[in-house]
Amino acid sequence: MNPITSGRRHFEDLAVGEVLVLASVTVTREMIISFAREFDPLPFHLDEEAAKASLLGGLAASGWQTAALSLRLLNDAFLGHVASAGGLGFSDLKWRRPVLAGDTIGGTATIVALRLSQSHPEWGIAEIDFDISNHKGERAMTMRLANLIERREVLMTQPQQPYGTEHGSGRA
Amino acid sequence: MTRWFEDIEVGAPYPLGSHVFSAEAIKRFAALYDPQYFHLDEVAARHSHFGGLIASGWHTVVVGHRLMVDALEVEANRLRAAGGEPGVSGPSPGVNTMAFRTPVRPGDTVEYTLTVTSKRPSQSLPGWGLLINRLEGVNQRGEPVYHAEVVAFSKLRDYRMPLGRKLAAALKPLTRIGILKRLRANRR
Repeated sequence: MNPITSGRRHFEDLAVGEVLVLASVTVTREMIISFAREFDPLPFHLDEEAAKASLLGGLAASGWQTAALSLRLLNDAFLGHVASAGGLGFSDLKWRRPVLAGDTIGGTATIVALRLSQSHPEWGIAEIDFDISNHKGERAMTMRLANLIERREVLMTQPQQPYGTEHGSGRA
Repeated sequence: MTRWFEDIEVGAPYPLGSHVFSAEAIKRFAALYDPQYFHLDEVAARHSHFGGLIASGWHTVVVGHRLMVDALEVEANRLRAAGGEPGVSGPSPGVNTMAFRTPVRPGDTVEYTLTVTSKRPSQSLPGWGLLINRLEGVNQRGEPVYHAEVVAFSKLRDYRMPLGRKLAAALKPLTRIGILKRLRANRR
């Protein structure tokens, strides 16, 4: 039993179609520049003048920052409240529109598939579709995440050892 | 890539360098973007099936992105120094797949590689080519950390605009002015 996750929702408690409403976050100029300095130091993420002249039209967050902030919103709404066993990865990430300084992003994450892990019977896999928009209602990013979630029932279904046999009862 | 679309070699691995992940950096990234207990707290992480602290998969990916930006900048400067003109890359429309494999633990070194696995001229963006980039990270024991298929744009050097499109482009400002004039006239 994992004491950290035992009181949380497990794989069995989830349903396909469940919509997780994410909080929203305002992406400030300082946040954009700070992330870009560390992970994506391109002129249109660092400098307002260079950004205005670029295809993005203004100081824009790194697409990876938009994705990371969306992951944070999912942590607050879901991953921090379920028995997560880690991420497997994601697919079909689409940056549909730049997130500019001052934009507020938020949206939903929907559980679109639930299946059991083939290699690990103690886990299930939840596939979650992100739909992230800006404050004007324009879609900014979509992607599908795959995350491992612990199963609660797996210990109960394993064959039970009769008391004593494991440690050789009667030896005393 | 900092090469023109025509010069990009498909299938040739391009080393991006390596990065050592410290416990401090793992926890700092997690606190901001992925605060799950096995990314954030060494003691709590012992209860997880990982048995200890591991980096968020997203952390390993963005570090790889940083190394790619740096490596391409170095390549562009090298080309300029040799009297050449570096190619132009465009914004990425997205990522087809990203698979997290072996977890990254404090002290692990991840070596990153970029390989262009296919290229073709873009249908939607004339003058640009579409690249499929395979990015991968491998740890110091040779175990795969992640692999990804990222879509990118790269400018064509020898693009000749078709005559029809050239005419349309030349006429566009005229039609705009015409519309503006008509709008102003209507307002009066």
